[in-house]
Amino acid sequence: MNAERHEELAALAALDLLSPLERAEFDAAVTVEPSLAALAAALRSSAAELAHIAPAAEPPATLRARLLETIAAAPSSARPSAKIIAFPTWIALATAACFALTAAWLGQAYVSERTATATLRDEQTIAALSLRAAQNQVEAERLIHRGELADAATKAAESSRVLATLESRLAAASLLASDSSRQLDASREQIASARRELTVRDERVADLSRRLSTQGKLADYKIATLASLLDNSPQALAVAVWNPAGQEGVLTVRKLPALAADKDYQLWVVDPQYPIPVDGGVFRVDPATGEARFDFRPDRPVKTVAKFAVSLERKGGVPKAEGPMVLIGP
Amino acid sequence: MTESRFSQDPDDRHQADARLLDRVAAGDRAAFAELYDRFSRPLYATALRILSDAAEAQDVVHDAFIAVWEKARTFETNRGTAFSWVLTLTRNRAIDRLRSRRRRAELLADSAPSDLGLDENTSGPSADDSATANDRASAVRAAVATLPEDQQRALELAFFSGLTQEEISTRLRTPLGTVKARIRRGLLKLREQLAARL
Repeated sequence: MNAERHEELAALAALDLLSPLERAEFDAAVTVEPSLAALAAALRSSAAELAHIAPAAEPPATLRARLLETIAAAPSSARPSAKIIAFPTWIALATAACFALTAAWLGQAYVSERTATATLRDEQTIAALSLRAAQNQVEAERLIHRGELADAATKAAESSRVLATLESRLAAASLLASDSSRQLDASREQIASARRELTVRDERVADLSRRLSTQGKLADYKIATLASLLDNSPQALAVAVWNPAGQEGVLTVRKLPALAADKDYQLWVVDPQYPIPVDGGVFRVDPATGEARFDFRPDRPVKTVAKFAVSLERKGGVPKAEGPMVLIGP
Repeated sequence: MTESRFSQDPDDRHQADARLLDRVAAGDRAAFAELYDRFSRPLYATALRILSDAAEAQDVVHDAFIAVWEKARTFETNRGTAFSWVLTLTRNRAIDRLRSRRRRAELLADSAPSDLGLDENTSGPSADDSATANDRASAVRAAVATLPEDQQRALELAFFSGLTQEEISTRLRTPLGTVKARIRRGLLKLREQLAARL
């Protein structure tokens, strides 16, 4: 048996934690190595100091009083000491007289007691011999039991080895389980990552769907080219793009004559449901190039666009076209 | 005058304890009262820690000291200090009671790490605790604090919980062999630390 096992048994003994099998193993080991008992005693003393780490608590004073009261009434394990009783003087004199009277009787009694004592002594000798025989018997049984104890210790050591093997297997299984757990965690992380990527892709698909839907609506857009009605600028041109769903449009013009300061161009949307063209707003062109890009939103709902027209009006525009038409289409 | 247990050299203290126990064995009631004054505080604290019940802890300490009165002559100095002998009498009685309780399972479940004894905030010392007793407790706590946490935990459960080795193993979710090794290493180191500090 190795030193560590001895220390382990001593430590468990110090804390009263030995199993019955270990107790037998420990007892057997102590017979072989008496220093083990000293180690267990030292460890027991050290373990006892753990009492000081318990949260401090004061026993009530009544407990002390109760204890002292109890032992005052109870006998101790000690052999009681002899008591000295004081005798009054006259009792001593009377005792001396009685002593004289009984001396003769005691002489006779002495002879008979001596005979009895001899008999008792013989009996004592016989008893001592019997005791010796019993001790020999006990010693013989102790030797037999020591052998049995050694066998038990061997079996205990074997059990410990088996236990250690099982524990190492258990540790290996725990490691395997831990490894599997880590793999499972990694797989979960991969799944979570794939899900996140899937979500991103779903969002992209949704975005593309939205864009596709928007592009699908382009088919509903109306695109019209407006031609010049001006003699002095026959090459003037405009393109209007109309989004009926959004009720808004964009007008792009090129090569329109520059305007006087008190004039504006005004866009008109011709819808058959209204008796007069709908006002699309006023705009000005770059004096150098005659170009403009104009986002417009008619001031009334437009159901059907029959034509777009641009007229030259006074600055700020008018509710109903008054000036000459400069562009019209389609 | 009562001799303070904690203001002496450790060897002197242990010898003084043993001498007191000898006097108790001879039926000396004054020695018994002095022994009670020296030991009762840590014994009661231990019983209370194990049982979590003041009335039961008092009964245990009472029974243990009665056993001391009746069996003092059986104490052998080569089996440990007088304090460890009396503590064993107390602790065994407390653990027997704990194990016999019908509501043991609930009590064990209620045992949180914070009330295993290292947390001084759970119960402060009473107003009349002597400074020397506090020094002693501080020294033991400091010695325990030097142990690795797993060894502290194993020793605390072994000492205060009344659990068997297997139950400690289950409680800590640790193989039995590891628990035993922790107890062995922890107790050996505690012994070394106490020798240096006390």
